[in-house]
Amino acid sequence: MHEMSLMGGVFEAIEKTLSQYEVKRVLQVKLKVGELTNAVPEALQMAFEAYSKDTLCEGAELIVERVPIRGCCRKCHHEFNVNTMIFICPNCGDTGIEVIQGEELLIESMEVE
Amino acid sequence: MESNRREIEVMANLLGSNDLQADVNRTHFRKNNCLAINVIGSPGSGKTTLLEKTLPLLSAELHVGVIEGDIFTNKDADRIAVYKVPVIQINTGGACHLDSKMVSKVLPEFDWKALDLMVIENVGNLVCPADFDLGEAFKVIVLSIVEGDDKPSKYPVIFRNAQAVVLNKMDLEGLTDVNMDHMKRDIRQINPDIQIFEVSCRNGNGLTEWVNWLTQKAKDFKEFKE
Repeated sequence: MHEMSLMGGVFEAIEKTLSQYEVKRVLQVKLKVGELTNAVPEALQMAFEAYSKDTLCEGAELIVERVPIRGCCRKCHHEFNVNTMIFICPNCGDTGIEVIQGEELLIESMEVE
Repeated sequence: MESNRREIEVMANLLGSNDLQADVNRTHFRKNNCLAINVIGSPGSGKTTLLEKTLPLLSAELHVGVIEGDIFTNKDADRIAVYKVPVIQINTGGACHLDSKMVSKVLPEFDWKALDLMVIENVGNLVCPADFDLGEAFKVIVLSIVEGDDKPSKYPVIFRNAQAVVLNKMDLEGLTDVNMDHMKRDIRQINPDIQIFEVSCRNGNGLTEWVNWLTQKAKDFKEFKE
């Protein structure tokens, strides 16, 4: 249940951003969470509700976009989706795979009024 | 009244402040030529026991320090202190993982000129610690074979991010239904570069290979060959 710690990072970023804008209320917060992380969307929702209580974010909608894993073969530079956690290049069969997408833990944007 | 609804782009890393401190820790380890490793595994996999068996074999060549992560107790640090190595316990007070700030707070407690290897034993958990960089050079997993051959594919993030895995309790192989070929095949599919050590902390089998590998890693780090 490290989603509480991750949500600490979300609210650090939210507070920093809100200090630069005049905002009455936050309506929506968008996160990007890679499949190659251990953050569980349901647990993030719970953590968001706990953190947002008595803040401008209370009642806001949390949208968690899951980002699929993409790999790039170091040998033939073929790019492909990594399915079922098997890191093998479908083009040349090599196992030296660079992860180019799927490790994101980001707050992308927020909708405010 | 006209709605003032608008979108603000943020694009910030949720682990930004952890990663910043992890880089500071990493610089600290590099400056002191001390290899730091982050040992991760389930409760009961044998992380502390592996350390207990490893320390006497290492100490001839290397000066080792230990940071023990635990939710509440000092039990692990007490076990390690018997081996006359400097050890500091971090109690996370409920948190399921160590983070880079907790580690940075205890770094001043060690005499860094006297250390070649810092072993950070994380809280018993295969999930949460995987997302938190502590500033270590690499992660080592301890997985006991009695946990089952399905565990690498169920916890792929940590297996993808580790440089070595110690498969412990090999002495129990014939007593369980674990299929070692499946376990190792799954580990290599997730991470083809990972080093696999098959060890029994109970009877000592396989410890030499692990200790020799770790010793070489610490020497390479000192000579900037890592």
